[in-house]
Amino acid sequence: MSFFGAIGSFIMQPLYYIISVILVGWHNLWSLILDPASGAAWALSIVGLTLVIRAALIPLFVKQIKSSRNMQLLQPKVKELQKKYGHDRERLAQETMALYKEAGTNPFASCLPILLQMPIFFALFRLLDQAAKFGKAHGVLDAEQAQQFAEAKLFGKVPLSATFLTADGDRAVQVMALVLVAAMLVTTFLTQRQLMTKNMPESALTGPYAQQQKMLLYVLPVVFAVGGVAFPIGVLIYWTVSNLWTMGQQFYVIRRNPAPGTPAAKAKAERDAHRAARKGITLETHTATETVEETEQEQRPAQRQQPKKQSRSQRSKKQPPKKSP
Amino acid sequence: MKYPLIWFLKAYRLFISPLYGQVCRYHPSCSAYALEAVTVHGSIRGSWLAVRRLARCHPWAAGGYDPVPTRTTPTRGV
Repeated sequence: MSFFGAIGSFIMQPLYYIISVILVGWHNLWSLILDPASGAAWALSIVGLTLVIRAALIPLFVKQIKSSRNMQLLQPKVKELQKKYGHDRERLAQETMALYKEAGTNPFASCLPILLQMPIFFALFRLLDQAAKFGKAHGVLDAEQAQQFAEAKLFGKVPLSATFLTADGDRAVQVMALVLVAAMLVTTFLTQRQLMTKNMPESALTGPYAQQQKMLLYVLPVVFAVGGVAFPIGVLIYWTVSNLWTMGQQFYVIRRNPAPGTPAAKAKAERDAHRAARKGITLETHTATETVEETEQEQRPAQRQQPKKQSRSQRSKKQPPKKSP
Repeated sequence: MKYPLIWFLKAYRLFISPLYGQVCRYHPSCSAYALEAVTVHGSIRGSWLAVRRLARCHPWAAGGYDPVPTRTTPTRGV
C-alpha cells in the first residue's frame, strides 16, 4: 500500500501548496480587518479560496456556453434522431454523440477538468481535517497557523474543524452543519429547476437526459446528507459557496444569454423590447436587429451544410470505382 | 483488485456522478467506460483503457461514440 501512498502524496503535495498559498494569502488579507485567530477570518479565507478556484474555471465555462449556442443549430437533427431511435435509448445516445462529433460541437464540459477538481476538494478536506485534529502543517500553512486554524471558532462557538458526527451533541455545530446542508440542497435544486424550466427547449425535456436529471433529484439529498454529516464545517463552507457560485453563474447566463427557443429567450426578448420602448427607440431599429440576427442564423446552417454536401457528392463519386473491383 | 475497482466505480456512478449531471463528451460516459473496461479486460488493462479515455475527454475533444474495445480486437498503442 506504500506504493499507492507514494503516488498519492506525489499528487497531493503540489495541491497542498496551491491551496495553502491561496488560503494563507486570503487569511493575511482578512487579518488586516479581523482578528487573525477568529473563526470569521478563517471562514472568509475558505470563501476566498473557493472564489479563486471558481474564477479560474470561468474560461472553461465560457467555452461551454458557446458550444451550447451552436447546439441550437443542431436541434432539428437531434429531434430527427429522437423520432428515429426514441425506443432505443442506447442507440439514441450513440447516434446523438456521433452527431455532435460530426458537427464539431459538444454541449458537455468533458470529464478531465472535473476530475482534476476532485483532488482539490480532497486536498482541502485533508488540510482542514489534519490541521484540525493535530495541528498538522501543510504547504505554506505552518504549524502555528494550523493550530490557530484548528482552534478558530465561527461565531465564537462553531469550530471550523468540527463535523456533525464528532460534534458530541454540540448543538451549535450540528445546527451549522444542517444549515449548510440545507443551503446546498436549496441552491442545487434552484439551479437544476431553472435550467430545466427556463433554459431548455421542450425536446430536451424528454428522453434519457431528462431521465437522468430526475434521478439526480433523488440521489443528491443522500449525497449532501452523507457529506454534510461527515465533513468538517470548513469543507462544507467551501462546498456551499461553490454551489452558490454555480447558481449565480447560471442565473447570469440564462438572463444575458438564454438558449434560443426557450422560455428564458422569450423573456429576454420581451425585456429588450420593453427597454427599447422606454428609451423611445422606434420599432424600426428593433426589427432591423432582428432581421440581422435572422439572416445570420440562416447563413450559418448553410455554411455548415455546404462541406457536408460536397463530401457526400465526393463520396458518391468515389464509390463507383470501389464497387467495380 | 478487480472487484474493489468495480465496487468503487459503481459507488462513484451512484453517488458522485449525479452531482455533476452529464459532463462527458463521449458515449458511453467515462465512468461507464471505465466500469465496462475493468469488467471486460481486468484491473490492469481496464484501468489503462480508462485512464486513456479520461485523457481523451478534454474541452477540445470532439467527443462522439467511443465504445470499449472488445477482447478480441487489439487496441492501438499498448
